[in-house]
Amino acid sequence: MALTGISSLGQSDPKGGSHTRTPLQRFQLPVKFKPIGLIPFFGFVGLFLVWPAISLFRLAIQPTKNSDISAMREAITGDYLDSFIYTIKLSLLTALLGVLLGSLLAASVLRIERPRWFRNFMTSFAGVAANLGGIPLAFAFIAALGTQGLITKMIDYFGINLSDAGFRISNFAGITIVYLYFQIPLMFLIMVPAFNGLRASWSEAAASLGAAPWQYWRYVGLPLLTPALLGGFLLLFSNAFSAYATAYALSSGGARLVPVQIRFFLQGNTITGKDNLGYALAAWMIIIMLITMTGYLFVRRRAEKWQQ
Amino acid sequence: MKFVAKIWPRLYIAIAIVFFVAPLLSMARFAFQRIPVISLGKDNLFKRWTIDGLLTTLRDPEFLHSLSVSLKVAFFTVLVLLFLMVPTTLWVHLSAPRWRGVVETVTILPYVVPPIALVVGVSGTYRSIAPWFLASNYSLVPFYAILAMPFTFRSLDVGIKALDLRTLVDAAKSLGASSLRVMWNVLLPNLRTSLINAAFLTITVVLGEFTIASLLLKRTLPMYMAQAQGSEPQGALGLGLLILVLTTILFTLVSIIRKKDSKSINVKNINVGMVP
Repeated sequence: MALTGISSLGQSDPKGGSHTRTPLQRFQLPVKFKPIGLIPFFGFVGLFLVWPAISLFRLAIQPTKNSDISAMREAITGDYLDSFIYTIKLSLLTALLGVLLGSLLAASVLRIERPRWFRNFMTSFAGVAANLGGIPLAFAFIAALGTQGLITKMIDYFGINLSDAGFRISNFAGITIVYLYFQIPLMFLIMVPAFNGLRASWSEAAASLGAAPWQYWRYVGLPLLTPALLGGFLLLFSNAFSAYATAYALSSGGARLVPVQIRFFLQGNTITGKDNLGYALAAWMIIIMLITMTGYLFVRRRAEKWQQ
Repeated sequence: MKFVAKIWPRLYIAIAIVFFVAPLLSMARFAFQRIPVISLGKDNLFKRWTIDGLLTTLRDPEFLHSLSVSLKVAFFTVLVLLFLMVPTTLWVHLSAPRWRGVVETVTILPYVVPPIALVVGVSGTYRSIAPWFLASNYSLVPFYAILAMPFTFRSLDVGIKALDLRTLVDAAKSLGASSLRVMWNVLLPNLRTSLINAAFLTITVVLGEFTIASLLLKRTLPMYMAQAQGSEPQGALGLGLLILVLTTILFTLVSIIRKKDSKSINVKNINVGMVP
């Protein structure tokens, strides 16, 4: 949800960051003092983000009580490993479905030219929905698909009992559906500019050279959209992986997701002496996010290079 | 075939709209109708609609307290963020363009450290060194500023790139303006849209943030909602809906301001270009 602002794959800046030199250069500091104005910024980030993150790792490599392996190692065994696999599976599935359904939605909405306000309306709505999350989203889905939900009741009317079928809003399928509520609009927002970047003249050129529509998409359209699709996938994955509030509220704190599990250790609701495991789980989360976001930045660089 | 190509996008959009609207409608029904789902039928569908649940919650002193905490934290977060990021971004563009890449990468770091990991690290660090800091509600401010940093930098960066910054600064200085005056009378008015954009988005983030507040046990608005779900569920869901509507209005305002400015920005650039 907090991913507002970097969902601008497929857009590039026409102007670079370079500046022309002027006769008034004397107002500038000598080169070696240039970074001096950035000290407050780096200090702030260092104090409130980097330092906590580093001490997290420092605590995570210490062993827990009655154990001789580091908490980092212990965090990838048994139940903890299971919840990592569960979380990664959920993030992968919601990211894949989000990419697919969100791209389809973008393509469908762009097909509709009239009424004119419709496209703007959908974009505004997607902006709201992509940032919707946390407690209100969980409430909405509990009211709709919970055991006493309105939709549950309506489906029951047609003879399908969701809870007999094993569906719970707090289990894997339930959380997947709820996460799609913000994943699909996020992908929509990424794909609209990407689709708009495909010029009509390219498909016309392909057609005039005798290409069938599928050939245009296979050899021209899809390769051009690949960076946006791949970047969107990575962004959606990290979005689902780091989400906490929605899953917490859906399951009343009982979900098997790693972020929800971390809470137990932090609040001491568990066997004493295992606190370091909470740090270790968080440390592994950072490592996974680091890999994902590095991939995302790499894809975005490539996309920008191609567009210039 | 042509018929299918024409009908398919519409059908798909219709399904999507149902998916996005149905949970909101269910939420509204739960919040404002005093009939449990079990006994809901055709004959009582339009009966016993009331906003009493929401009104009770809005009068709850605990709610008012959590609202005031959230609003104060939001105000100071915006203040801290702008005081930190506006000079930093201007400095990057004016004096240290080579550092732009580094600063941009650092502003993306909050995405690498998810809120849940950040708060675990924070309690591991500050709980032993500065417990008084974590005891205060305002300890949320710096961490919310960190969460809002990525889009704030981006918003300011885009705004500054649209200006001819060097020319503006040189022109003002050659007319005898002090650095502070340049900042206040020339740069800030030109960056109005970016500033409002960043401030509104920050407010929506602060008003919705749950992870950090819940693990640091701060009684903010989302924390109140999560707890009220047990005691006064109708009011809690009504409140959730109200916050959704307010957030939507904030987002719409942002996009209107952004659109208005993107129309006028070209004109501004031409004028500025003619000054020297």
